[in-house]
Amino acid sequence: MSERTPYQAEQRRDLVVGLVLLVLGIVWTGIVLATIPPGNYGIGPRAFPLWLGVGLVALSAILAGGAWLRRNGDGEDPGDSGLAGMGWPVFRMVVLVCLILAAYGFLMQRAGFLLATALTVAFSLWVVLGERRPFLVAGMAIGMSVGVWLVFGQLLGAYLPRGTWLPF
Amino acid sequence: MDLLLSAASASFTPVTVAAILLGSIFGVIFGSIPGLTFTVAMALAVPLTFSLDQGAAIGLMLGTYIGGMTGGSVSSILLGVPGTPSAAATVLDGYPLAKKGQASLALGMAVAASAFGGIISLIVMVVSVDLVASLAMNFGPAETFALLIFGLSTICGLSEGSLVRGFIAGILGLMVMTVGVDAMDGVRRMTFGTVTLQQGINLLVAMLALFAVPHIIDAFVRHFQEERTTKQVKAVGVELPRLRDLGRNFWLMVRCSLMGTGIGAIPGTGGPVAAFLAYAHARKTSKNPQEFGKGSVEGVVAPESANNAVTGGAMIPLLSLGIPGDPGTALLLSALLIHGLVPGPMLFIESPDAIYGIYIAIILAYLFVFAFQVAGIRFFVQLLKVPPHVLAVAIVIMCGFGAYSVRNSVFDIYTVAILGAGAYGLMRVRIPLTPIILGVVLGPAIERDFRTAMILSDGDLSVFFSSAPAILFMGLTILIVGTQVGRSLISSFSPKTPGIGRNAPVSSEK
Repeated sequence: MSERTPYQAEQRRDLVVGLVLLVLGIVWTGIVLATIPPGNYGIGPRAFPLWLGVGLVALSAILAGGAWLRRNGDGEDPGDSGLAGMGWPVFRMVVLVCLILAAYGFLMQRAGFLLATALTVAFSLWVVLGERRPFLVAGMAIGMSVGVWLVFGQLLGAYLPRGTWLPF
Repeated sequence: MDLLLSAASASFTPVTVAAILLGSIFGVIFGSIPGLTFTVAMALAVPLTFSLDQGAAIGLMLGTYIGGMTGGSVSSILLGVPGTPSAAATVLDGYPLAKKGQASLALGMAVAASAFGGIISLIVMVVSVDLVASLAMNFGPAETFALLIFGLSTICGLSEGSLVRGFIAGILGLMVMTVGVDAMDGVRRMTFGTVTLQQGINLLVAMLALFAVPHIIDAFVRHFQEERTTKQVKAVGVELPRLRDLGRNFWLMVRCSLMGTGIGAIPGTGGPVAAFLAYAHARKTSKNPQEFGKGSVEGVVAPESANNAVTGGAMIPLLSLGIPGDPGTALLLSALLIHGLVPGPMLFIESPDAIYGIYIAIILAYLFVFAFQVAGIRFFVQLLKVPPHVLAVAIVIMCGFGAYSVRNSVFDIYTVAILGAGAYGLMRVRIPLTPIILGVVLGPAIERDFRTAMILSDGDLSVFFSSAPAILFMGLTILIVGTQVGRSLISSFSPKTPGIGRNAPVSSEK
């Protein structure tokens, strides 16, 4: 069995993307029909979300259908997406970035803005990115916390959470 | 005149001037660092504006926009890597000039041409924006809906090669903005019984997710997968061009500035298109076309005056009609909306002083960007040496805190994380993000005006074809979408599609 060309690999990927979006569109449309009332007068609150769901179903069917028809065809190499890496390491990094952001939000409420920021920066640099220059990590952690505190908290008067874990 | 004086007195307050200066510096720095485009800078700048008054807030955003568009030339010339897509054409001759030891001259010409292009486009903008707005003054919901749909049709130009993917992206953006309590009927939509989702997805939260988070993830991934090299940046200054040099390129700068303004005014085109067209024009009309690609000054002047002129051009549909033509103006629109200014014809009646304030802020921003690049380039090129992963961590904090500060809600940080991961996934499968932005920005107004028009006409769809402006915009929309769909169908059914690879390296032939 011959190996897939980049063009054929792209068609396979489009097929998967189209099918995933098709399912999303069907689920969205179902939820819209089940939960949003049609409204009493004129075009109600249901109309737009419903049309969007139907539109997504139609367009993703076109994407998937086109990719299915071209799956064994020949065409130009689509080139890369401009983004780095592939596979598991990328997926791991997506999850890690999400977790870092979520943990930052969680910590901000509990430990307060300054500590949460310092911990998030230090964790991201030291643990996630493997940065081993202690002065850089400490400088960034303290610099970012104090810098944002100064600019947002003191200069612009924005609210910075104090947290509930520490008594001060 | 009174309005101008009143706007001037509001614009020349220390806070507003400082905000424009800060934005200009912020934009130049972000624009000059490859990968950190000005759109990321603008998304991160919006939370900074929350505590500022309207004039200072808009000044900060405009400074960031203009600084970012200008700053891209620095790394194009010094590193051969464009800081922003708009500066890609500048690489072609700017980098060869730097390799010949004329980096200072190239930077000086780029700075002068950028300022020139910006000012020319500002003049065109001031003249035309009022005219366009006065024409649009009597628009009702049907005409406004037609106009917004026309604005949304720019998705065709922003689809990055695949119309279906572009439309899917636009629909996803529109979907995001239907979440929450419906503004007209007060009905909860797609909230799944939760209280937090009732407030909907905030525009800025969506912007941070779409612009900043994919950049963070990509920088983290690259940190592990690419060879880590420290960028070598020599000590460099800006050598301002002599009057004779400027005079020699004067008409080229005028032509390219007008070209950039015109292209910028067409939604969905933007800086890269203007810069490459101007570059091609300069080479075609040059007495020494053979010098292009080897270090021609004209090859720097043309794209730089054109890509900066795009800023003024893009402001025309934004201010007069409320249509953002590129991600930068979409972010600007979101900032204007957050601060209570609704761009469009009514803005000229309700807040004419704000319009003049915007003009003044643009002039000041260009002056600051010019001064900063001339005086401060020795210092800020050192920022090009900062490792990308360190900058990415700084953006994590700005992004997280920026999202939190919108409504002092941790839920918004979680939303940024989830939507951002989704945005990165979409980028990987080549679903373009810019149409999502358009959907997010224009979605609520499109739905509101459509429903209002339908109520007023008792459900008669012909209301969208009952007046000259509505017919014009609906016709243009049908024409644009029809042409693009037709072209897409023809290319799909042709046996083998020759074309330009979407990520083909930039060369002088493109």
